[in-house]
Amino acid sequence: MGGATLGRLILTFGFPLVLVALVAGFTAASPGFISPDNLVGLLHAMVPITVIACGMAIVVMMGKLDISVGSTAFVSMAAAGVLMTDYGWPVFPACLVAIAVGAVLGAFNGFVVVVLKVNALIATLGSMIAFRGLALQITNSQVIVLPDEMRGFGNLMVGPVFADILFAFAILIAIHILHRDTVFGRNATAIGNDEGTARRLGIPVDRTVFLGFVLAGVLAAIGGVFAAAQVGSVTTFLGRGLEFTAVAVVVVGGISLFGGRGNVFWGVLLGALTFEVIRSGLNHVGANPYLYELIGGAVIFVAMWAAALKTPKGQAHG
Amino acid sequence: MKRFVIAVAATALAGSAAAADLTVGFSWNSKTQPLEQAWEDYMIAEAERQGAEAGVDIEFIFNVADADPSRQQSNVEDLLTRGVGIVAARAEDAGAIGASIRAARGAGVPFVTFDRAAENVSPTAHVGGDSYDQAITTAEAFADLLGAEGVEGKCIELQGALTDINAVNRSKGWNEVDARRDEISTIAQVPTEWNPELFRSGLANALRANPEANCAFVASDFAITAVQSALEEAGRWAPAGEPDHFWLATQDLLPGAVPLMEEGYIDVATTYDAFKHSEEFVRVLIALHKGEDPGCGPDGCLAKGRVVTPDTLATTENLWSRTYR
Repeated sequence: MGGATLGRLILTFGFPLVLVALVAGFTAASPGFISPDNLVGLLHAMVPITVIACGMAIVVMMGKLDISVGSTAFVSMAAAGVLMTDYGWPVFPACLVAIAVGAVLGAFNGFVVVVLKVNALIATLGSMIAFRGLALQITNSQVIVLPDEMRGFGNLMVGPVFADILFAFAILIAIHILHRDTVFGRNATAIGNDEGTARRLGIPVDRTVFLGFVLAGVLAAIGGVFAAAQVGSVTTFLGRGLEFTAVAVVVVGGISLFGGRGNVFWGVLLGALTFEVIRSGLNHVGANPYLYELIGGAVIFVAMWAAALKTPKGQAHG
Repeated sequence: MKRFVIAVAATALAGSAAAADLTVGFSWNSKTQPLEQAWEDYMIAEAERQGAEAGVDIEFIFNVADADPSRQQSNVEDLLTRGVGIVAARAEDAGAIGASIRAARGAGVPFVTFDRAAENVSPTAHVGGDSYDQAITTAEAFADLLGAEGVEGKCIELQGALTDINAVNRSKGWNEVDARRDEISTIAQVPTEWNPELFRSGLANALRANPEANCAFVASDFAITAVQSALEEAGRWAPAGEPDHFWLATQDLLPGAVPLMEEGYIDVATTYDAFKHSEEFVRVLIALHKGEDPGCGPDGCLAKGRVVTPDTLATTENLWSRTYR
């Protein structure tokens, strides 16, 4: 009984404990790691992935996956970047277009999954490749250097913190409330628990799944806006690999890949923080550059293993 | 059978491409960027110049595969059937280009890969840039500069993707010079995976961990705006001559970096040199045409870049990133 309780505790609080241990370890090795400046910088760096992972979390709650979010971010900012640089659009309207493009691409994914009945993983694998090709066409595979105002927004401070941290925090809370306190969120959880049962209960499964993908597209575009603002340009690397990082963030944050379980706020925050703490900490201790991917991969592996232990046997991904 | 047909067609049609002493068929993988136009213009100009010196009249036939490896293969076959003397290609796919190399070999036509080496099949020659030398020359010039300014360089190295041989060569070159020159020392290494977000966040992290840092080696300046953003965040983005200036040595000097060097933010760079690549390419073509050994090293005939500083930026000849931006 004691052993089982300990096991449950480890499964429940394992990753928060890992995060605390990482912070303690990096602080011991490099006292500057825990400085307020570094913590603010760390939060600043995790803004794009936090926003994108919010959308991924909603899709995962429904027992689906959207691995096109990185490419969606790229297409959205490619369109906005061309509008700003080639057509002289001001930053704000161009960013609104980016978000609209994200919604359209999300709707396309939703259409393929809901209407054409294609498995979400396969559908978004296809759109991940196609959207990236589209973005390369839009940008001619060239670097688009964004106007100074855009980079200014990326580094804009509100008091002691970056403005984009506040935006990301607001989005995180909004998505958490959407999931916990609205009919849409409860429906998403019900679909993730058992899609067939949800249909029999009269839950509008197709509409909810479609809207979930639209939301993921919108949040991917917003994440792309933040990422481009931080670096001041749109390059062919924008969003590359972000889809897998977003999945890893969700898993490390304890949101079940099989759907129906997890807490958006704490899950996304914990997951994004874990990966950024590792990257920043390794920077601070001057680790061998080859260690970064090794440790990141190990964390994902452990998270998947923990998720598998928590999942009832026989449950399959839909 | 296909090789036989190509060989027969090449022989039969040789006369059609024989107006010049040497007709070179060049297959572009794609041609959408200023760099490719610069390469092409320099190749034509160098063919005229070096060809006149060597007594060889050189003519080019260019075609473009629009980033499609299959189309590139059929484009190379088209060039072979037109009877060109040498085929050259910038491969879209380093593996798929092997079929074209084999087809040229079957037709008895030399094949030169340009910029991107083939993976599994050896061409007659490969011409590309020398990324190791690029880093060495930048680092030496940077050490000279910092020494002359009386600055003890405590540098952050922003590396590329460590799965990319160019990134590995650049890191190796930088660290070799670091080991032998007292003017520079690397106090932090940041792997970026060629991802601008990691250029920014990695440099920002390294600056917070090492506030004494006063210089950086940037493995490619395609991400220079990300570097700028991190330095702005740290209050270290200032041109040379100002107290907060952060000394920057970069690789490539791509079009986006040229204005920043003009304004004094970048102190030294070694070019990814379209002109030098083209010059070396034409030299190799002439050698092959004459049946001579082009004298390539184990990695091919690698053209060295040129060191550029704010003082030499305006006067460096044939600098594509300044002319074609």
